[in-house]
Parts: sequence; C-alpha cells; structure tokens
Amino acid sequence: MNPDRIETISAWLAATDIGLLELRGPGTRLRLRNDGGGLPLRGEPIADASPAAAPGGSVTANAASVGVFLHRHPLRETALAPIGTRVVAGQPLGLLQVGALLLPLCAPRAGTVTGLRVAHGTAVGYGTPLVELAPL
Amino acid sequence: MNALPSAAAQPSISLLGTSALLFEAPGHDMALGTQQRIWALAREAGRWPEVREAVPGMNNLMLSFAQPPRVLEDIETRLRAAWAAAQPLPLEGRVVELPVVYGGDAGPHLADVVAHTGLSVDEIVERHSTPLYPVYALGSHPGYCYLGGMDPRLATPRRKVPVLSIPGGAVSIGGAQTGVSASTGPSGWNTIGSTSMHFFDPAQDPPALLQPGDTLRFRVEKVIR
Amino acid sequence: MIEILSASALATVQDLGRVGALQWGVGTSGAMDPLALAAGNLLLGNDANAAAIEVPVFPFQVRFGADLAIALTGADCAARLDDVPLLPWWVVEARVGQVLSLGVPRAAGHWRASRAYLCVAGGVDVPAVLGSRSTQLRGAFGGHEGRALRQGDVLCAAAPGIGRCGSGFGLLPPALAMPLQLDGVPAMRVLPAAEYGHYTEASRAAFWAGEWKITAQSDRYGYRLAGAALEAANPVEMRSHGIVPGVIQVPPGGQPIVQMRDAQPSGGYPKLGTVIEADLWRLGQAPIGSRVRFIEATWDDALDAREQMHAWLADARRLVELHRRQRARSAS
Repeated sequence: MNPDRIETISAWLAATDIGLLELRGPGTRLRLRNDGGGLPLRGEPIADASPAAAPGGSVTANAASVGVFLHRHPLRETALAPIGTRVVAGQPLGLLQVGALLLPLCAPRAGTVTGLRVAHGTAVGYGTPLVELAPL
Repeated sequence: MNALPSAAAQPSISLLGTSALLFEAPGHDMALGTQQRIWALAREAGRWPEVREAVPGMNNLMLSFAQPPRVLEDIETRLRAAWAAAQPLPLEGRVVELPVVYGGDAGPHLADVVAHTGLSVDEIVERHSTPLYPVYALGSHPGYCYLGGMDPRLATPRRKVPVLSIPGGAVSIGGAQTGVSASTGPSGWNTIGSTSMHFFDPAQDPPALLQPGDTLRFRVEKVIR
Repeated sequence: MIEILSASALATVQDLGRVGALQWGVGTSGAMDPLALAAGNLLLGNDANAAAIEVPVFPFQVRFGADLAIALTGADCAARLDDVPLLPWWVVEARVGQVLSLGVPRAAGHWRASRAYLCVAGGVDVPAVLGSRSTQLRGAFGGHEGRALRQGDVLCAAAPGIGRCGSGFGLLPPALAMPLQLDGVPAMRVLPAAEYGHYTEASRAAFWAGEWKITAQSDRYGYRLAGAALEAANPVEMRSHGIVPGVIQVPPGGQPIVQMRDAQPSGGYPKLGTVIEADLWRLGQAPIGSRVRFIEATWDDALDAREQMHAWLADARRLVELHRRQRARSAS
C-alpha cells in the first residue's frame, strides 16, 4: 500500500458519505475514518481489485475504488448492462460514483452479464465484486 | 405627510443580484453637473478592490463586482461618502458632427413625434439639430452613446410595442432622451432620422469611438417630408 | 477540425463571458449554463474559461477532421459518435472522420435541460476579442466571426490528438447534486431590485407564489414569461441605467422579461428583482414551454449559493485531476 494510493483513497473518501473504510490484505491493514461521513460502508475486505475467478468459471468485475455503485447513469432510466447483456472487453457494466466523479466499471473481458452482486446506489469498498460475467 | 426633506435628496443604492450595485443620484432629471459628479465617482469607485468595473448611466452608476462582499454596509458607506465629496469632473473631448437625413424611410416615427408634441416637422428638425449634446455614458449596445441636452419639448414616450429591428445609424427619441443606434437591433424609441457613422471597432483601443466628455451635434443634411 | 454539418442550428462559440467592456456598451454574452461549460472544460483538463460550442437547437451534427478529446455537458441529448451511444457528461476520444450527432434533449426525472455544450481539448481556438472568446451577436464580433455557426463552418480545437487528457469518465450533473425546486417545479432564487416596492402587494405576492411559463419569445437576449399580470402602484419613467443578466424587468403590459446573457447592458424599465448569479444556469437550461418558480432570497443566501457553486466546481476539478494522475501512474 503505497503513500500515493493512500492519498488518493483519502481524497476520494472525503468526497463521499462513507464514514469508515477498512482495507485488509496480506500484511496490510488500513483503517480510514471520515469525520464528514455517515454510515460505515458495506462490503468485504479484499486484497486487490483484479477480476477474481468465481466458481463455475465466471468472472467478477470488482470496484477499483471506494464509491457508490450505480447500475445506470443518474440521468438515464435503463441499466448499462442488465443481466443477459453481451459485452465486449472494456465495456462499461456500471458506474462508480466518487463524490462528483463518475468512473466506469469496465468488463475485464468479453462475456455475458450473469449477475449484479450489489444493488444500485450501494456504497462499496475497494475491490468489492460488483458484476458477474460468464466469459465467452 | 412629508418625510424628512433631506431624505428626498439622498441618492439610492440598490442591488442587481450579487453581480452589481446600482447607485442613483436623487431626482428624475439628467443634469450635466450631476453627470460630471457621476464621472468623478466612477473614477474613484473603479479603484476599489470589490469593483470590477464602474459603469456610468444617466445620472447613475453601476458597480459590477469582482467579488461580492459579504458585508454590504461597508461599501455602501464608502459610496455615499465618495458621492458627498465628489467634485464635477469636467471631461472635455471632441465635438463630432453627424449629418442626418430626417424623415422619409430614415425616420418612420417622425409623424408620431409630430402627433405627440404638436410641433411641425420643421420645428422638430430645428430643435433637434440646434443643441450640442454631451455624451453622458455608453451603454445599450457596443458604441451606443447616451446623450444629454435634448430640448424637453421634443420628449415623446417610448413606444408601447418596440420595433424588432432598426438599422445602425438610426436617430431616435425615447422619453426625454435622444440617441443614435450604433448597430442593427430592436428599439422602443421613436426613429426620426438616419446618419452614417462608425461608433465601434473592437480592434481599436479604446474600441468605442466616442466617450463621456465628447459632444455630438446633428447637422441637417436633408429633410424628407 | 470540427466541421458543422447542421444548418440553422443557432449554435455559437461561448466562454464564461466578456467582462470589463460594459463601459463601451458591450454586454457579457457567454454560456447560458456557465456551470456546464466549466464542468466540460475541467473534464478535459482545460481552463474553466476555455471556449466551447453552445448548442440550443437539435438535432445537431459535426464531423471531426482530426482525433480530438471532447466532453458533452448540459442537456442529455442521446449523443452518438457514429453509431456508438455516448454517456452524458463524459469525456470521449473522437477519431478523425467520426460524426457526432446530438438528438433532442430528454428529460431526466424532474430536470429538463435545453442547451448542450460541446467542449473540446484545449478549447475552441478562435481569437479573443476584448478579453473573451464569447460571441457578441449585436456587435458582430467575437466567437466565430461574430455570428451563429453555419453549415460548412470548420472550427479548430487548441489541443487536438489522443491520449493527452484521458477519457472514459464523467461527472454527476450539478442539477442532480444541487437540485432546487418548489412544488416539483424548477426554482431560482431572486434578490429584490430597486423598484420592487413600486409593485402592488398583490403583484408581489403573485410573483413569488405563481408559476411562470417561458414563452416562445425567449432566447439568449431575454426570457419573456407568462403568468399573472404585475401592476406598478405608481408607474415611473426611468433614466437609463446599467443592468446585468438575471434582471427581471416589467414593461407596460405587466409580463416580466428576465434579461439573459446577450441582454443590453443597460435599460430603462422598472426592475422587480434579479435572479441570483448562482442560479442563472438553472434558468438558462429551462426549456421553452416549461414553468419556473421564484424564491425570495437574502444577500447571505445568494452569496452562500455562489460559494456552493464554486465549491462544487473545485471538488469536481480536484477529483478529476486525482483520477487523471492515478491513471497516468498506473499506465507507466
């Protein structure tokens, strides 16, 4: 966990309503309290954000940052990638909102969306699995 | 019934949102002496840190804010004090003569001025082209001059329905004021004639060819009845 | 390298406006939604005041003659780059030959917007005139040749090329982050002006309580509103004086006109109030035919609103820059 990464996460955290962020990994534990924040976030401690293999060969796209996971753009009515959608590598599956910033959750590889692990509007932690894909 | 007599002589200060402050000299007339004090006030207030630009109007002054101050009392007090101390600034510039074609297509509302004032076309042309008109301020559109000194007998109210487009060079009367359009655009004034003159060139410094302190006079080139 | 394909689009080049030229009768001009323009610019790493294209009429199309990073803010107009649909308020990299198409703006819940901003990397490259790149329509200078854009016009961006400012991220529109409504209708805060007290008590009450419809005779010069007839208790013939965008004048006839970005910098009609600077972007986006409400504000309210708007922009800029730095580090 390098200092740059901590600075970045702190700045992102400050811009959210999240009250407490805890990251755990092999030999690393980081706990950040946000005095301006509200509820503690929901999510599992995860070491990194790279796509994890899940049982049955499916792959998950994980949050590359703390933030609020959105299925659809706030100005739009339809989800970016509802269950059953065929996607190409890099295609946005959802959005991660960090304060005013909106970041895409990109498909790690081509596949079909088989699950949305987290409800629209949920605050998530760094590395939380968000969308399940069955690779092509 | 009366408020304190001195209250009537106080200038008024009002807000234009958070963008600007409007200072108005007391009364409804448009005296040159008062305008010269407005020029002095503009020069002073234009130096204040809150003020981006001090813009004279007809016996009034708009101060556009660089940064609106949290506390207004301070700048208001300063403004009243500066006005009380303001000496007329006797700006003197050039006298510019404009040849005017009165009436005809160039003056579509001359008949309305005749109807309102009861004067003949010749009397109107004579009274309009005799005075020297000091430039009080610029405003309305690029290069447009607000002039003082119109003969009050020519006063004709602004039109109920503004004209969508009158050409640049249009010579008009609105209420007790007269002026010349610097470019094509809508107008609620009564157009009595036309002149040709370039009032604005953005490539020049300053871009407006006339400024407060200059004087305009209208020379009769032709009268079309 | 930005070729205008649409005819009669009324689109103009604007930045945040021209200041310091009121003394020569030159009004501010500038974007009707300055917040959207500034946000699009900061998404691209531009100066907030870089020039962009304001699009008020749809559909609208341009073709890119070079690779160029762009950001579309303001109204969500179902934009497509060739066949690919774009997210609103998002940075994308357009490639040479691609066509950007903007459709009719769509409503998003309670928020309807009417103007889109096509921001480009480095800003639209036109000469600054009297300190600004905004189009001065009355004076016929500034922007692109002092006029609205026509089919066939080709504009340049100051920083073409790919990979310079990052792409594939966006901003939450401020209309969602800072909503302002009264009984479900978009609202704007107003500070009373000098002649506020000249209006009858019934008229003043009607002004605050009523819904005001933006009539078809509304444009960058002014918005003509339809609603209750407003009556002056003692009508006064006024001396010409400076005014600013947001000033609400009431000519004889009793229907208010809100002066907008291309308004004359001076006028002689009585003024009821002024829409505060921090809410002008809301009004600038209200579509023709829609209704708005006005909220009476204090000086402190108005300054707080202004600070809130600047804080939103500062936060957005900080987050975008952090993100861009983060990506640059991961890439290296």
